[in-house]
Amino acid sequence: MTMRKHKSLKTTMMYIALALLTIVSLFPLFWGLSASFRSDNELYKYALPFSFHTLIPVQFTFQSYMDLFIKYDFLRPMINTMVVIAVVIPLSLLVNSIAAFSFATFEFRFKKGIFNFALISFMIPFESIALPLYNVVDGFHMVDTRAGLVVPSIANGLVLFLFTQFFRDLPSSLIEAARVDGAAWPRVFISIVLPSSIPVIVTAALMTFMDQWNAYLWPLLVARSKEIRTIQIALSSFKMERVSLWSCLYAGSMISALIPLFLFLPFQKYYVQGITSSGIKG
Amino acid sequence: MTNTGTREKALPYILVLPAFVLIFLFKLYPIFYSLMESVFVNGTFTLRTYETLIQDSTFWHALWVTIKMNIVMIPLQIIISFCMAMIVNSTVKGIGVFRTIFYLPVTISLTVATILWDMMLSPNNGVINSLLSVFGIPAQGFMASKSQALWSIVIIATWKGCGYWMMFLLTGLKNIDPFMYEAAKIDGCNWFQTVTRITIPLMKRILLFVCVANTTANILLFVPMHLVTQGGPQDSTNVLMYEAYKSAFKYGNRPRSSAIVGVLLVLIVLICGAQFKLLNEKEERTDG
Repeated sequence: MTMRKHKSLKTTMMYIALALLTIVSLFPLFWGLSASFRSDNELYKYALPFSFHTLIPVQFTFQSYMDLFIKYDFLRPMINTMVVIAVVIPLSLLVNSIAAFSFATFEFRFKKGIFNFALISFMIPFESIALPLYNVVDGFHMVDTRAGLVVPSIANGLVLFLFTQFFRDLPSSLIEAARVDGAAWPRVFISIVLPSSIPVIVTAALMTFMDQWNAYLWPLLVARSKEIRTIQIALSSFKMERVSLWSCLYAGSMISALIPLFLFLPFQKYYVQGITSSGIKG
Repeated sequence: MTNTGTREKALPYILVLPAFVLIFLFKLYPIFYSLMESVFVNGTFTLRTYETLIQDSTFWHALWVTIKMNIVMIPLQIIISFCMAMIVNSTVKGIGVFRTIFYLPVTISLTVATILWDMMLSPNNGVINSLLSVFGIPAQGFMASKSQALWSIVIIATWKGCGYWMMFLLTGLKNIDPFMYEAAKIDGCNWFQTVTRITIPLMKRILLFVCVANTTANILLFVPMHLVTQGGPQDSTNVLMYEAYKSAFKYGNRPRSSAIVGVLLVLIVLICGAQFKLLNEKEERTDG
């Protein structure tokens, strides 16, 4: 009896902790969403004293979303970001997967050294090299071009590592059988290895998408013109240049937050597994 | 025949080459470049950049702000993430949904997190101040206050970051053999003893990874300072990373920026080294 009481108390405490954490995790998002449906003059009207309408709009309006796209051309930075992502993902998958295939399949001189070299690169945090990287990219005349956003993002130590791990776990009989049948290496790679690697491809693509969509410091440095500006920079300049347009800023923030969210939710298992495996095996 | 033979031999290198070149040019060469830039002025070797830097009180202040912020933020985030991981490791109904919810802030960009929190923390009309008023607490300055701005940034980064570290720690917790807990229970260990003597020592590797990765991420925190405070009020959030950015892109002083980046890298290596030492000592103690 006491045992059961003790257990139910524990479960209750657990649910209280879960509820508190849920509120903390979701409240800013809920707040932003609610504010994005308000008009600018309603936004701060109900701040004090605290009441129901502090949290829920009195009059729902899509005006801020309309303004955002019609007046302030928010679609453009979104498309810009998508274009960069659409180029980076296939290039990154190609470059990193063929290198990983080589590491996982062949024995060759300096293999270990080259592999460690790639591993070190993913332990160096990007922010620490972003400022000097600017000078390197400037040397290639890629500042303020889309190439400046794309080229440095292609090789990715983490993606390379994930692919290598995955290829190592593929049964070698699969590859040997094809080789015995006389298939050349490119064929083996394209028609046998890649089709069995869908999970890691999804993980890598998703990771690249999130990285690019949420990137701030690097696009801030190399993509300054309005024509190629990415979404996070558009938000930031919106915040800095148009100080009074709060509800539009909220609407833009919500769009920026919801797109990766909808991609993340269906694939979260792949994504989280992929990311955490880097910490465990690495 | 010999032709295909050499081709076979060259193949592994050809496949690795594009990744190797790109990693070298865009990940490793910049570090080397920045080091050279900080010690070569007009083609001659000199330590003048560093000499000027250590006589500069702005630099020392930025270093202090960086250390102050991280001494609080890194342990705070690791403790919170660890508690979160323990909570979501339970088997109550619907726990998967909670895991997803706690991870959501991670998928949001730091830019959006900063924008949302900045407005929630607004001194005049922010929802946090109206919530505080319910409890009779007067309005706080938060990002606009010299004494609170840095801690407001810590709150933002912690809200955004903890779900990420939670997932690593959760994987570590799941890898612990349940039998270990059974044994501890039989031996009469209480909850606290179980955590400190079994859970933490067994998770040493993953804890070390989280500590190191968390340190590097936090020391280089940049977005909230750039987006909201611009290092202020009165330099209270002027961390080294922001000072390095300003040196290069506002003052046009690239050697100074490179030297500060160098200091940041040394700082990261030192802290990570200390963490390695700390966690390895723990292992020795449990072994003995």
